[in-house]
Amino acid sequence: MKILNTTGSEQVVEMDNGQGTSRRRFFQLAGGITGAGLLLAACRRTPPSTTYVGTGDTGLLNMLYIIEQVQAGFYTQAASTPYYGITDSESLCFIDCRDQAIAHREYMKTLLGKSAAKPIVLDLSLTTFADRTSTLTNAYIIADIAVGAYNGSARLLTDGQKLQAISKIATVQARRAAYMRDCLNYNSFADNTAVDSKGLDLATEPAQAMALIEQYIQTKFDISKLPSF
Amino acid sequence: MNFKNILTEIEKTDPEVYERLSGRRQVLKSFSSKVAVAALPIALGSLFKKAYGKTAAAGDVVSILNFALQLEYFEYNFYHTANNTGGLIPTNDKPGFRNIETHELAHINFLSDVVTTLGGTPYTPPNYVSTAIIPQYIPSGTYDFTGHGAHPNVFNDYPTFLTLAQVFEDTGVHAYQGQMPNLIGSTVIGQAFQIATTEGRHAAHVRRIRREAPISAIEKPAPWITNNIPPLPTAAFQPYYTGEENTTQIGGVDISSLPDSYSTSGTVPVLSATAAFDEGKDMATIVSLIQPFLV
Repeated sequence: MKILNTTGSEQVVEMDNGQGTSRRRFFQLAGGITGAGLLLAACRRTPPSTTYVGTGDTGLLNMLYIIEQVQAGFYTQAASTPYYGITDSESLCFIDCRDQAIAHREYMKTLLGKSAAKPIVLDLSLTTFADRTSTLTNAYIIADIAVGAYNGSARLLTDGQKLQAISKIATVQARRAAYMRDCLNYNSFADNTAVDSKGLDLATEPAQAMALIEQYIQTKFDISKLPSF
Repeated sequence: MNFKNILTEIEKTDPEVYERLSGRRQVLKSFSSKVAVAALPIALGSLFKKAYGKTAAAGDVVSILNFALQLEYFEYNFYHTANNTGGLIPTNDKPGFRNIETHELAHINFLSDVVTTLGGTPYTPPNYVSTAIIPQYIPSGTYDFTGHGAHPNVFNDYPTFLTLAQVFEDTGVHAYQGQMPNLIGSTVIGQAFQIATTEGRHAAHVRRIRREAPISAIEKPAPWITNNIPPLPTAAFQPYYTGEENTTQIGGVDISSLPDSYSTSGTVPVLSATAAFDEGKDMATIVSLIQPFLV
């Protein structure tokens, strides 16, 4: 499944919760039935060969912008098509996550201005949104990727203002990662796959973070100029 | 305006100006070629702000890390006491709080090592005895987690313990956030982020426990801080959350004015705009918030 992620108009197709149709099957059906607009347009669109993310601070912010686009798309879908057995409490959190991820995405876009990388084509087919385990697993994996990417960027950003901006988001990503981990596997909020023996959370080199997030994106990126540790 | 003359003038009072600016070689390079004449004053201001205003000196870094150590000792003692109080923490929740205690101790050790490496003397709490082996790092007569009687059941009543745990974890996040601007340009900025996000995970864990019944029938905090809502009683905890209502972020961007097609207003809901960012508090404010829990 591909969703063309355009600002302010996420394409979300409402899905009947009561049916056992898998997401992939659903979109096959949707593609055949609706015959309409953006979903099909997204299917037809051939992604450009590579999208250049830039260098220096711009490259780092574009990486975070890309990760926020994935999160916005992910939670938009998760909130629209809740998994079977979702609790009211979880449902509200997914809606919060959607709006926060959209806020982060739009903020990154604003900070980047004309340097913002082109909108990307998501590929969320790894996740079966009707399934609790699949959704929560991918939710925490993406949130962990975000934590690692923000913390990794902290070592490399040269602009103090932008550093402060991403700092205030990084801890919120960590809150999200912990929550999703606990929902999936209680008490795993900060286990040793996330926090090391020094009590330090993930910090991922940009190229590695991009490699991790690319499993949720169809667009291919040119990250040759991204800063490294 | 002559850029070279400005540097020469500064060099008279600060011989290290070129060294300070040398890390900005890229900036300097683009400076001559790309900056329009009209933008020169602004560009210059920003260049020198980066060189002078925002690079932490080693002494400042040591004092910030010692401030962080103060908080880590505080938190570690809080969890160590709770984890060693029989009947307080339910069996299912014990692994989580042991994990948090382990992290706080790891932070103490890590920060102490860094302070030593930087040539400083690591903070130790009052009444700390370096030769005491068991219990390690637990001074007596230093902390009063009842807040001098305001929360007498902190280690007898699980909901009370959870309330204070949430407040302390959120305050820890605010403390690190508040120091980030002072750590810019230092070698420890990355690790400061990594510790801050660990505290963020702790905060979310405690908040989730409080969110789920039957612990808290009235309060259902989200894992993130919505508006500036404190735990009950509001009067006791409001100061710990003041400032979290902010929606305007670096760059003068009002987050609640950004587009969000899922919101009835068409823009990011105000509550989400507040929750999407953890705010910082300065050192003096943090100290005043912790003070009620010191002997």
